[in-house]
Amino acid sequence: MKRILITLFMAVSLVSCNKNQSKQETDEGNIIIEINHTVDGKQLETDQMIYTNAAGNKYLVSEIQWMISDLKLHRADGSTILIGKEGDIFYIDSDIPESMQLDLGFGVKSGDYTGLSFTFGMNELQNKSLRFVNPPESFMFWPDYLGGGYHYMKLNGKWINTDDVAQPFNFHLGIGQVYDTLAPKSSYVSRSACCTSAHCEGYTPPEKTMPIIGFIQNYFDVRFEDTSFSVHASKSTKLQLEMKIENWFKNPNIYDHNIWGGSIMQQQKAMKKACENGIDVFRLTVK
Amino acid sequence: MIKNLSLFFLLLIILVILSCEKNSKEEPVYKPTPYTFDIPFAFPTKMNIPVNNPMTVEGVELGRFLFYDGRLSGRTHPDSLMSCGTCHIQANSFEAGSNHPVFEGGFVHGLTGIQTQHVMLPLINLVWNQSGYGWNGFLFNDNPNTNFRNLEDFVRIAVLAEDEIGGDTTKVKQLFQSIDGYPELFFKSFGSSSITFKNIEKAIAQFVRSLVSANAKFDRFLKGEEQLSSSELNGFVLFTTEEGADCFHCHGGGGNPLFTTHLFYNNGKDTVFTDLLDRFSITGNITDKGAYKAPTLRNIELTGPYMHDGRFSSLDEVIDFYSHHVKWSEQINPLMHHVLRGGVQLTSTQKEDLKAFIRTLHDEGFLTNPAYSRPDKFPDEQ
Repeated sequence: MKRILITLFMAVSLVSCNKNQSKQETDEGNIIIEINHTVDGKQLETDQMIYTNAAGNKYLVSEIQWMISDLKLHRADGSTILIGKEGDIFYIDSDIPESMQLDLGFGVKSGDYTGLSFTFGMNELQNKSLRFVNPPESFMFWPDYLGGGYHYMKLNGKWINTDDVAQPFNFHLGIGQVYDTLAPKSSYVSRSACCTSAHCEGYTPPEKTMPIIGFIQNYFDVRFEDTSFSVHASKSTKLQLEMKIENWFKNPNIYDHNIWGGSIMQQQKAMKKACENGIDVFRLTVK
Repeated sequence: MIKNLSLFFLLLIILVILSCEKNSKEEPVYKPTPYTFDIPFAFPTKMNIPVNNPMTVEGVELGRFLFYDGRLSGRTHPDSLMSCGTCHIQANSFEAGSNHPVFEGGFVHGLTGIQTQHVMLPLINLVWNQSGYGWNGFLFNDNPNTNFRNLEDFVRIAVLAEDEIGGDTTKVKQLFQSIDGYPELFFKSFGSSSITFKNIEKAIAQFVRSLVSANAKFDRFLKGEEQLSSSELNGFVLFTTEEGADCFHCHGGGGNPLFTTHLFYNNGKDTVFTDLLDRFSITGNITDKGAYKAPTLRNIELTGPYMHDGRFSSLDEVIDFYSHHVKWSEQINPLMHHVLRGGVQLTSTQKEDLKAFIRTLHDEGFLTNPAYSRPDKFPDEQ
């Protein structure tokens, strides 16, 4: 009798396990987000001086590396589902083809979704130095002196400047700095010796070498409220996330490389304008 | 009968003695010990170790013998000896160094006197290099040509190359097979005392992967164990700011303590590119003309001459170049955004500060670590 009970218990357990497994299989699907870099509606052609931005700068793009975090799916009832776990980031690199497809895995609850959101870059809680020790993410580090953490984006290219020369630009976004504009010149970082020596008489240290007294978080949220899609059990739903590169330089701020120059990591004003422009850089479509 | 019995006992005794002798002579046992890395603070956890050549204590030790044994040339005449260690000098961070007694100015040549096409690269922390070996990255993991993928292949190439050892792999393996002690070490490392050149490659590659530099002053600063001087800190700020010396995008820093990305850049040395062994020769991408690997800056003060062709003999010259003499070309890497000013325009004080910081990457322990040094005795001298 005892043996029969044990056998029955085991049989029920097995059936129960199988039922759970199949329930799990039928409840979850996958989302694959294909990344697409475009300029003026066409696929980006790297290293080709064929683009013109809203400021009239002719330019080319050599490479783009960027990070997003806090990727969430939105439902009609206002609830959200975080993809992965808190702190997960997604790294995208135009030189690494496999990074151009974000495979979220078969763990997405099936059902209807009304949109998607993510943080461009990382928030201050997540953007901590040395959290990534392996390349390529580690190569995105943002120097501690400038605020630490990681670049949200490196967009490298060249533009034709006012002298008609192809000048390199590093359109890099990350934590900005607040410089002490009232500090005496002798306190300017690494320029002090020059400022006080005779052979540098008349030398005016650039603003960017003033002492830093604070930092500014430049990350921003991107939300697609009305891009409905469904996730079906055991199937993959394909979305396409497009980065419209020309929009970094367009709306609401006309971004002119001739004004901001080749490097902006130490120019908060430039990064602020760029990040404001970031609000309509992305487009989500269902494939 | 008695005579027969005596003979029987005599034979028995001889048999026992022989048996004892056999037992007393230890058979080598193939039981390699896995080589473990203690990942240094802030270093990558992913390493470039091929699946078919896992590192073992025995393999690394054998590799150390082979690395330094001049018979790697396949020859025994004192004038014809050459090994990796002939050019890769530990005290110079495994480069020849400008002070080398034979290779004047650090320009190395092979046994036949032919100079190498490019100057040397240091053997530091290569186990963390995921982006190709050599100035142009001609050895890379997913190379369709399976003979050009990793450090193992570098060993074979160095042994065969006329401008390096100029040897013959068959002669090399036959020579080591005949040298007392080596077959046993190969057995302990790879399970066979029959020496193959593949296993020579593997052992040396294991040793090279074991060469880790992670205890420079800067490493201790990063861990909060030691403070940098005012000049060194100024240099660090310059190193990691775009408006300073702007070194960090290619050469790392606090977030990338390898002090290299191991990637390839045209850094504005020239306007015309005639070298047939630049990065372009590997990728065929026109923007890679004149591009070469950014080497690590660890122990860099010891590894002159600098750049792929050794055009600069001192760190001062290199800093001057990046400060005032960078040249524009269509191929210049966008990260060289100071190019139209000729460079980052450092003052003399800033140059000194920058150099002071770079010297904090000097790792004396790496240069004197006995585990990396020439063995006192080779296996046949034990």
